[in-house]
Amino acid sequence: MLGWFDANVVSMIDGVAYGLLLFTLAVGLSLIFGMMDVLNLAHGTLYLIGAYAAYALSDGSWLGLLLALVVGVLVGVAGGGVLAALTQPLAQRGHLDQALLTLGIAFIASDIFSKIFGSEVLPISVPSQVAGSVTVFGQVYPVYRLLFIAIAGGLALMVYLLFERSSLGALVRATVADRDMVRASGVDTRVVMFGVFAFGAALAALGGVLGAPILAPGPSVDETVLVLSLVVIVVGGLGSVTGALLGALLIGQVQTLGVALMPVYAPFLIFGAMLLVLAWRPQGLVSLVGRS
Amino acid sequence: MGAQIRSMRRIAAGAVAATMLLAGCGGGLGSEAQTVEGPVKIGLLVPQSGVYKALGDDMKNAWELYLDQNDGQLGGREVETILADEGEEASTGQAAAERLVNRENVLAVTGVVSSATMNGVADMFESSQIPLVGSNASPTTLTDVEYIWRTSYVNDEPGKALGEYVANEVDGSVYMLAADYQAGIDEVEGFKETFEPAGGDTADEVYTPFPTTTNYQPFLAKMRQSGAKAAFTFYAGGAAVDFVKQFEAFGLDSQVDLYSAGFLTEGGVLEAQGAAAEGVLTSMNYNHDLDNEINKEFVAAYEEAYGKKPTTFAMASYDAAKVIDMAIEEAGDDLTSTTLNEAIAGLGDIDSPRGTWHFNDMGTPVQMWYLREVQKVDGGYANVVIDELGTLG
Repeated sequence: MLGWFDANVVSMIDGVAYGLLLFTLAVGLSLIFGMMDVLNLAHGTLYLIGAYAAYALSDGSWLGLLLALVVGVLVGVAGGGVLAALTQPLAQRGHLDQALLTLGIAFIASDIFSKIFGSEVLPISVPSQVAGSVTVFGQVYPVYRLLFIAIAGGLALMVYLLFERSSLGALVRATVADRDMVRASGVDTRVVMFGVFAFGAALAALGGVLGAPILAPGPSVDETVLVLSLVVIVVGGLGSVTGALLGALLIGQVQTLGVALMPVYAPFLIFGAMLLVLAWRPQGLVSLVGRS
Repeated sequence: MGAQIRSMRRIAAGAVAATMLLAGCGGGLGSEAQTVEGPVKIGLLVPQSGVYKALGDDMKNAWELYLDQNDGQLGGREVETILADEGEEASTGQAAAERLVNRENVLAVTGVVSSATMNGVADMFESSQIPLVGSNASPTTLTDVEYIWRTSYVNDEPGKALGEYVANEVDGSVYMLAADYQAGIDEVEGFKETFEPAGGDTADEVYTPFPTTTNYQPFLAKMRQSGAKAAFTFYAGGAAVDFVKQFEAFGLDSQVDLYSAGFLTEGGVLEAQGAAAEGVLTSMNYNHDLDNEINKEFVAAYEEAYGKKPTTFAMASYDAAKVIDMAIEEAGDDLTSTTLNEAIAGLGDIDSPRGTWHFNDMGTPVQMWYLREVQKVDGGYANVVIDELGTLG
């Protein structure tokens, strides 16, 4: 048992890093879909915005990283606002139209990115103090990923407290559960929705800036993270922060520990896990949508 | 929730419909071979989007360079290049190829990056008797063809070239890790073909899902546990960047010698890998530092035009232009797709930046292979030829 633990503990740690990265993406996608009923297939583009900001501005100093964070998040929020405004008129026309619109935007954005940044996967510099590797439980592990776990973990905690323990969060959760009732009590739900869209976009862009050294920007990276985030919200349940966190951490472990234990089955593990969860709880691990 | 599941289905259906629209619809009827007068149309089928775009750009650059150097002519004929986007799937590549052959009525086609596309279009080129002078993809399964040529190499040759060398050089077992698609599997099979008879000891053979794998940590953890002294790998493009950086970050580089098919450190990916790639050993049929006159001129012209060193992908595309150039000249006035194909078959020696080579019976080059090491050169990192691995083909 101890031998097994020794051999796989690093895979588990890495699973946490990966899971938290997925959380920053999935939570926004989940809230936007669960709450605004908008399926935003351009969500991966927001990750790329952050990741390319990290490439352009992060020069191996802390200041560069901070600058990348600020710019990435600002552009991400702006992008989120544009997406929210564009999908607003389609609110009555169902998910297919929204999906086509946002997918189209994602395609255009990815072409623009490849015009500006080229078609290679780009290297990301991290501050030199955290650029190396340290020994963790007898195995070499990159320092940056440990830092990422700390920051993203704090971020996840903050998001959790904001949504599950504050009155603002209660308002958002109420809007997810029963929009008409919230509107009837005198709240402009459109403001709440724009706020959630911008917040989700900011988180995805933030994930992009911080996650770029782990999952570097390049062509089709937006699709990769979009598909993973969709899996996370299907597993975790729509419209729930807790669900997105549990789903993301689970998929993170499946992607690392699962693969380390069963490399031969690596291609099937994620969707196998999704299948099992769906068979057991079709609504996902935690779901607010549809509960009345 | 039920409504949401239903609409998810509609979204999926919409996404599929959108993809098909984007891919375009092929079709139309083939045409009889006619003697071509005036300018000739050549199809350039390379990825302009998706994960292989960087390769496609290299191939397009070198093709255009050759044309520029020859006043836009091949074999004395004005050339009109019809660019078609191969995309990253077999389906997009097939649709683009059908457009070139059936609607544009091209004399010949060059390019093709992905083996999946090559498998998908092989029958069409054979049956419509249009020569495809491929400049990259060359799956091992493609053997009995008359109209399909490749100026690159067969997929398993980089592995084949390394097998015996690694078996003799490494004192311990070798771990094989490759991307799980045809090129990866071909490469490892080729490696084993020469590695095992030479007495090599295999630690394990593992394939990583492609293109979904971006985190190699769990696979690298397995490699470490196996106690292997060296690894033979196959990764290209973005996957190569991720793999090499993580190989170093997780400390494998101090325990395991990394051998690979040359794509691991070819072209732009090496820049992205930076110091992490130092010491990586790869096999390839070409390197920009090869010491011959044609190569020196080619490298200088390419660098001047595009600001970077040519890759093997660029070189193969440059050679494809040269092959078509020589063959059109050979075919003379009676130029049809069929006579062009006959002319290619009779070409003999081709002087190339890689040295002199010729086509074998399978339509692939007989050529020298080189062992390269990533070394620090002038402040940056570059592949440097350190040994010859022998002739294959």
